[in-house]
Amino acid sequence: MIKVCNVVKRYGELKALDGLSLEIKKGSIFGLLGVNGAGKSTLLSILNGLSRFDSGEIEVFGLDIKKDTKKIKEISSIIPQNLAFYEKLTVKENLEFFAKIQHATQENYDKAVEINALKKILDQRASTLSGGQKRRLNIAIGLLNDPEVIYFDEPTVGIDPKSRNEILDSIKEYKKLGITVVYTSHYMNEVEKICDDVGIISHGKLIEQGELKQLFSSKNSTLEKHFLELTESENV
Amino acid sequence: MFSAMIKKEFLLVLRDKQALMALFIMPAVFILIMSVAMKDIFSQKALSFDVALVDQDKSEITNTLVNDIKKDKAFHIVKKDDAKFVITFPKGYGDIENTTTPKKAQISVQGSVKSDMIEIFKAKLMNHIVKMKLSVIKEKLSEFSDEAANAVGSVTLATKELFALKYNKQEKVPNATQQSVPTWIVFGMFFIIIPMSTIFINERKQHTLSRLSSMNVSAFSMILSKIVPYIFIAQIQMWVMVAVGMFLVPYFDTPALEINGSIAALVFLSFSLSISAIGVSTLIAVNATSSEQATTIGGILNILFGAIGGVMVPKFFMPEMMQKLANISPMSWGLDGFLDIFLQGGDILSVMNESLALLCFGGVALIVSMILLRKRIEEGL
Repeated sequence: MIKVCNVVKRYGELKALDGLSLEIKKGSIFGLLGVNGAGKSTLLSILNGLSRFDSGEIEVFGLDIKKDTKKIKEISSIIPQNLAFYEKLTVKENLEFFAKIQHATQENYDKAVEINALKKILDQRASTLSGGQKRRLNIAIGLLNDPEVIYFDEPTVGIDPKSRNEILDSIKEYKKLGITVVYTSHYMNEVEKICDDVGIISHGKLIEQGELKQLFSSKNSTLEKHFLELTESENV
Repeated sequence: MFSAMIKKEFLLVLRDKQALMALFIMPAVFILIMSVAMKDIFSQKALSFDVALVDQDKSEITNTLVNDIKKDKAFHIVKKDDAKFVITFPKGYGDIENTTTPKKAQISVQGSVKSDMIEIFKAKLMNHIVKMKLSVIKEKLSEFSDEAANAVGSVTLATKELFALKYNKQEKVPNATQQSVPTWIVFGMFFIIIPMSTIFINERKQHTLSRLSSMNVSAFSMILSKIVPYIFIAQIQMWVMVAVGMFLVPYFDTPALEINGSIAALVFLSFSLSISAIGVSTLIAVNATSSEQATTIGGILNILFGAIGGVMVPKFFMPEMMQKLANISPMSWGLDGFLDIFLQGGDILSVMNESLALLCFGGVALIVSMILLRKRIEEGL
């Protein structure tokens, strides 16, 4: 279980997270929704031990994020929205570099290559890859440390529908492997397709959390309609 | 982990054609151009003037004078069109009886000749004219008194016999190659800023640094992994420039570079210089918001360090005040050290001061860079 309790994060005067609390079940795919600037990326950055926070408590699979940051980083992986690898290196060179950094095993390396269908393009320079292939490489790097939890920060931005579906299918595979996935996206249909649970945040606060089906099925609605209703009422 | 980071850095630099141009081609071309262009200015050959002689008088006196001048190695006799100085002895010049309206020798000088060279030329020519006049006076006096004639005859104008010249310090002056090679090694090494800032800022913008941080890579490791490859690159750069000076420059009728000092001193000094250049580059890369900004700031800083430190104009050409000011530039420390090795046969001890100054300067810049990078990582870069 990942427990976030009353977390506050300030950037100067601005409260990026304002007493946010939520819980993410181990082994689930959790959709984190919110408009731009709601605090999603800040939360992912804190959960991964990259950014500090001002107050509150966070526990990742029983580990205190303030005391066990190093260990939490070892069992976590973040897939940033940006293509965070080296364009001038080949796919293989990129994977080998990040594998060595994390002391990844050959088994993990092979698994990351296989799940993301990178075998045929291993010797290609990253700069020459298509948008979808670049996204897959970005994700594969995040799998090298055999993480217990992966944070996806809008991983399908700017790619074609076919590549998007491939990525979504691969994320479902991670769940089968027992990996917990936290997924942020602006595409509601993606969240509906892969997520078990959803949390909606606005202005740094959690405004709703629950199982995806329960959230809007009774209202004969869609996730998109429900999200818009919630965030608009928050803005009023 | 560390070896992987070093390998990555090497691959990125080696695949950056612009960086390689700035690090290797640019200084090598500069060494070649500047060594050839300045070979005459730095030449230690005896002074020689291109002179044409016109004897309109054709007297015994002018004939003796012309022959005397021709024998002097300071005067290189050429055709009138090629001469920088044309000396004309007009008709009646040799008429020594004419004391009321004596004829003067005419000297025409090419416009590009500097005034100090004209003064030296005048002094040299005066020597021959005075000698000729003394010879005439001696001849005249001999008709009246042999004693007086001998006294005049014993007057010498040879500088060796008139005064003794002694240098206070046995310091050698560099030739064009000895000046150009260290200059462009130092200047070229500081161009590490181009690949370093480009790679570093791309890593920051693409969130690769964040990703590395999320993989437990510390700011210390990030910076250290950049230092090691650039130390190797700087060493390669230095030896390529030395090779250009030793083997390529002589093909252009310019003196080859000679290493009179110790190789160990050369390695130690270039290592210290590379730490200094890497320190400045890292500091700029950590603080700049874009690679364009980093290369602009780095370029301006390099030119300023170079202008102050004796890269653009050699320090010994500078006035004393500028020579003192030059000591604030790390490029000047490096340059002094290289000149010590190439010219004065310096060893590690003789470049110790310059090397330690460079190491301290680079070390402080690197420590500040690490602190700033750590802070930036904590703030989410």
